[in-house]
Amino acid sequence: MITQMLFSRHEKKTIWAVFLILLAAALVPLANLLIPEDSVFHVPGYLVPLLGKYLCYALLALALDLVWGYCGILSLGHGAFFALGGYAMGMYLMRQIGDRGVYANPLLPDFMVFLNWQELPWYWYGFNHFAFAALMVLLVPGLLAFVFGWFAFRSRVTGVYLSIITQAMTYALLLAFFRNEMGFGGNNGLTDFKEILGFNVQAGGTRAALFAATAVALALALLLSSAVVRSKYGKVLVGVRDAESRTRFLGYRVENMKLFIFTVSAMMAGVAGALYVPQVGIINPGEFAPANSIEVVIWTAVGGRGTLIGPIIGAILVNFGKSIFTAAFPEFWLFALGALFVATTLFLPKGVVGTVQQFLARRKEQRQADVVEKAYQDKATAKAESQLAILEPQAAE
Amino acid sequence: MKFKSQILGAFLASALATTAFSSVQAAEDTIKVGVLHSLSGTMAISETTLKDAMLMLIEEQNKKGGLLGKKLEAVVVDPASDWPLFAEKARELISVDKVAAVFGCWTSSSRKSVLPVFEELNSILFYPVQYEGEESSRNIFYTGAAPNQQAIPAVDYLMNTEGVERFVLEGTDYVYPRTTNKILEAYLIAKGIPKEDILINYTPFGFSDWQTEVAKIKEFGSAGKKTAVVSTINGDANVPFYKELGNKGIKATDIPVVAFSVGEEELAGLDTKPLVGHLAAWNYFQSVDAPANAEFIKQWHAFTKNDKRVTNDPMEAAYIGFNAWVKAVEAAGTTETDAVLDTIIGTSVPNLSGGYSTVMPNHHITKPVLIGEIQADGQFEIVQQTPQVVGDEWSDFLPDSKDLISDWRKPMSCGNFNVATGKCGGKGS
Amino acid sequence: MPIPSVQTPSGRRNLYPHAWHDVFPVNARLPKPTEQEELMYRAIQTFVVALCLLAGCLATGLRAEENIRPLVDALGATAFPQKIEAVKALAVSGDPKVGDILQNLSDGKLYAPKTGGAVYLEGPSGGTYLDVLTGAAVAEVPGNLAKIRLNNGLRGAIGTALSQLMLLSPDRAARLAASRDLLKDANPDNLDLLNSALAQEKDAEIKATMEAARAVILLKTEASAEDKKAAIDTIAARGNRDALTILTAAMNNAPDDLKPSIQTHINAIERSLAAWDVAQNVWYGLSLGSVLLLAGIGLAITFGVMGIINMAHGEMVMLGAYTTYVVQQTIAAVAPGMADFSLAFAVPAAFLFTGLVGVCIERSVIRWLYGRPLETLLATWGISLILQQAIRTIFGPTNRQVDNPSWMSGVFEAGGLAITYNRMWIIVFSLGVFVALLLLLKRSKFGLQMRAVTQNRRMASSMGIRTPWVDALTFGLGSGIAGMAGVALSQIDNVSPNLGQNYIIDSFMVVVFGGVGNLWGTLVGALTLGIANKFLEPYAGAVLGKILILVFIILFIQRRPRGLFALKGRAVEQ
Repeated sequence: MITQMLFSRHEKKTIWAVFLILLAAALVPLANLLIPEDSVFHVPGYLVPLLGKYLCYALLALALDLVWGYCGILSLGHGAFFALGGYAMGMYLMRQIGDRGVYANPLLPDFMVFLNWQELPWYWYGFNHFAFAALMVLLVPGLLAFVFGWFAFRSRVTGVYLSIITQAMTYALLLAFFRNEMGFGGNNGLTDFKEILGFNVQAGGTRAALFAATAVALALALLLSSAVVRSKYGKVLVGVRDAESRTRFLGYRVENMKLFIFTVSAMMAGVAGALYVPQVGIINPGEFAPANSIEVVIWTAVGGRGTLIGPIIGAILVNFGKSIFTAAFPEFWLFALGALFVATTLFLPKGVVGTVQQFLARRKEQRQADVVEKAYQDKATAKAESQLAILEPQAAE
Repeated sequence: MKFKSQILGAFLASALATTAFSSVQAAEDTIKVGVLHSLSGTMAISETTLKDAMLMLIEEQNKKGGLLGKKLEAVVVDPASDWPLFAEKARELISVDKVAAVFGCWTSSSRKSVLPVFEELNSILFYPVQYEGEESSRNIFYTGAAPNQQAIPAVDYLMNTEGVERFVLEGTDYVYPRTTNKILEAYLIAKGIPKEDILINYTPFGFSDWQTEVAKIKEFGSAGKKTAVVSTINGDANVPFYKELGNKGIKATDIPVVAFSVGEEELAGLDTKPLVGHLAAWNYFQSVDAPANAEFIKQWHAFTKNDKRVTNDPMEAAYIGFNAWVKAVEAAGTTETDAVLDTIIGTSVPNLSGGYSTVMPNHHITKPVLIGEIQADGQFEIVQQTPQVVGDEWSDFLPDSKDLISDWRKPMSCGNFNVATGKCGGKGS
Repeated sequence: MPIPSVQTPSGRRNLYPHAWHDVFPVNARLPKPTEQEELMYRAIQTFVVALCLLAGCLATGLRAEENIRPLVDALGATAFPQKIEAVKALAVSGDPKVGDILQNLSDGKLYAPKTGGAVYLEGPSGGTYLDVLTGAAVAEVPGNLAKIRLNNGLRGAIGTALSQLMLLSPDRAARLAASRDLLKDANPDNLDLLNSALAQEKDAEIKATMEAARAVILLKTEASAEDKKAAIDTIAARGNRDALTILTAAMNNAPDDLKPSIQTHINAIERSLAAWDVAQNVWYGLSLGSVLLLAGIGLAITFGVMGIINMAHGEMVMLGAYTTYVVQQTIAAVAPGMADFSLAFAVPAAFLFTGLVGVCIERSVIRWLYGRPLETLLATWGISLILQQAIRTIFGPTNRQVDNPSWMSGVFEAGGLAITYNRMWIIVFSLGVFVALLLLLKRSKFGLQMRAVTQNRRMASSMGIRTPWVDALTFGLGSGIAGMAGVALSQIDNVSPNLGQNYIIDSFMVVVFGGVGNLWGTLVGALTLGIANKFLEPYAGAVLGKILILVFIILFIQRRPRGLFALKGRAVEQ
């Protein structure tokens, strides 16, 4: 059923985007590993994790777009779900280090050793199995979103209030994860990973595989989102976004619908975080910072919310710009970034994709209108001509 | 739709173009040096100065004729106080810009984030800030102080000179204060200070409401024994802390505060008149009376075109690290990493306190420890100076690291050799 | 330089012969003393000790005006313990010049050769030196003169010595300070001095302090049991933390029959202190709350009233703080005498400047975004990045120094409360701002128009209100208030480009908790959060306390989705 859901009735552009992403999933690793370094088409090693990072951000932005663009829930705490997924993966990677840490302690991660922890905290158990960690990547953010959403949506906390309390949530988590007593490595977080599933995380092949995995995950998420959005449920979600009370009065259980999409979105964010960690090599509480979550909102807005392709393009565009600017104009890139946000909201309120779509739609309309008008004019001319033709003989008379 | 594939195509093309363009640049006849300090975000407040210092050092070296007959060229990037971005930028500096060495990082998190990158791509990082120790990497040189080059001499000073018997270890809640306080606690207990005379307290980053904490310190200090505060409070939180101390009228003669993260730069944002006599422990103060220092300050003022800019300890660490690298490259005749790693150990360069600092086999350096008292003009009066102390990466006061040593000379080449088991743990190469 | 020793795998000790624990912490900044110098030190030391004894006899006996020059020159010694001995000896010498000499020493005006030797007084112009005792210019001085350095021990000794001299001063403030110093120091040697001072003293407060000092000294000496008992009562009557300290210390070496009475006093003081602690916590809470109120109240206008999610609010606070800095610098340059009143200029300047910036932002960006509140978030976030970087480019990334004026420095005691002046004035200021804002909104024409526009824009417009102007001015008002908050925050926090970031989340929490669109809600919300935070802090620690507050806000919003004081009516549904 899920397969059917995934592969049925998508818009043509979604199919195209999925195709492109999958193409990247195949081409980038190949171009990195197979094409010789002096070739123009070689993708250098440093670019692979970088592109992988962009795709993780794209997945995160897509997750946010599901709740914001389609359901009107502006979450300023999606970074928290992302980071939780990342921590779950990071804990797995930490356990994989085993006795290769600097203190050669087979059980405890290094940061616990030098802070004199005697035994592994209970919540670290199980993370030595990849399957368990993968499950937690989905479950922890999902559960947090479910509990949080269950309270918030039932109490009908909406609009800016919801935004602010999601921000409070990620801020509280930020402070909590900073605490060294929590057993998550405090400010330094989790780092110095060695292996994932037995493969060296620093090897080129692993990097390429991780990139491909991220691209595939993004493609699947895109298909899933498209399926959700285009289903009947998706249409009602848009209804909730545009007129929540009216939808409720029509008999829909609005809070359950919101809860479902919020949880799914959080899980997607968790997956993005889990894929992000092995590629950048560190996860620390900084990811919980409210500013990070706001940035995700901005990528989505720049790309175009309420479209599925928009957030992906937005995330890639903004981060690509950030990569370029932080190296090219290290002193002034914040001006450029700030100006971009102001300009986007002022001149492209629907984002890049939304604006282009609008433009295309208008052109199409225009064209159709042109056709209609032309037809009408043709018809009118024909009519006039025929009338003339009728008249002419009279005139000729 | 067509335009999307065009956007993606354009994106990939531009990414490729950047790479191609940069690799062309790298072929030019200069030696590139990476400068990896945050110029925006929360850490910009401390790190921007170090970026300027690095630019000045590189400029001075070029005035002297460069290195190996080539000019040095600084490649400055902004990792924006974002730790994963540090790793990304480090990778870019090494792979794209092909820098010969990188000078950078401030926080431990940023160092931890870039460490695997430097080991993977086999490049060199000079890290100029005091830190918690418990790390040794083949590719990193720690030119700031290890805990034994700062914390322990400071506590010794408090006990011997000020007669302190009761300690408040006040820190920001992150790894450096945690580890330092663990070490200090073990050290104090070994020195016969009872456990109830040690109070450890942590506050979050950027903490600004110190009323309760300062009151607690005052209360702890009223037990009839001479009390001192050992502060590992980080950056931003210091100004409100000292303002509260000053306002509460806690004078250095009552409860002295000795800080490890407060230097001339931090004091520049404070009225220091109420704080005269509070202490700091560093390996360098601007007030050091040495010709090398006078020259350095003069250059700094000329470079920044501002004769009020202060110098500080991490700048000296950057100075030592840079000069040691220059000397090692000259000795090796190449900037190639392995050759430089071999020649740099044992390299001695002048430091700014009138002596020499030597790069040791554990990739830490020797430096004197200075204890300074804050003066009304925002400078420090040096009240004690020890001879050269060797940076000790694995603390003797932590049970799990007391048997570890690090020696990166061949044939040992090990960052965590266990002298009890005679084995190189973890990641010796 | 070679590696100090060869590597031995057996241990690190041999590897680094200069490890810190092998080092005796000597004052190694100086060249190591030669044998000759060592002898000289010892000679000086013996000489000073001898002089001390001599001077002590003379001071108590003859009080002769003998030459104190050798003592003064001993101040130029290289080791701190010798200098401290010299200061103590000078203090008891009874020479009238000692006060000035010690004051000069404390002010850093005395110079001596780096290697130790005769002491000179800094001359009126650079490079000239005077004789310390006669004040006559000295033509020939040694070449290596340096300022005589102080450390905490020496500074303490000078302080005590000066207070001994000041105890009979005609100036009341000097006497009070001196008596407090003596209380802190409580040196039995001063008992006679204290007794004679007490006999002359008329002022009640000074007298009480002196009596307490005398009591503390008595406890340290071999006084009779009655005297000691009286002394304990005198100290206990002070009832503050210092008294507790003294009594706790006295408990250790008190005779057994006195111990129960000391213990009762200790218990009583602890009980009263516990009660005062609660009051103190409330005060801390109020103070934190007033800071939150200041930070949040501007946001209550831009966010609460206008519905703009103003992420640049923190940067307005920061701009206010920088305005304070600029005003202070200007005044220091133009009229240094007015430095204490610079805040009086800074408050209106900050209000006008940030208000103006606010108006510009509103006119250029925000006016296009009305009705799209979530998009104002994006635009203002972008503005905040630009403002931060602009300040960083102009002023540099480091902290700027903003001084506390003298009337905002220090602390006073009210009962068992220790109240710092700066916190007190900030509470007063924030309440003042709150009242002024309330009056403006409720009583002025502009306030009426503002409320009209926010409640029903089109109706207001058709009544002839120029809504664009009202919008711009309202946003300017919110920003201006944030700027005034910046003036206050510059007194207790960093003035750096990051200043605003630290307050933005707290500000939003306060406004949302209190109820959007209600100023009273902001007031109650800020004070509640402040006090709750301060009561949690001692038990949970600062970090956990803050987390608990955030969780509490999240749960509270579930119970009351529109905050503490919810607006009722149609406006809610917009």
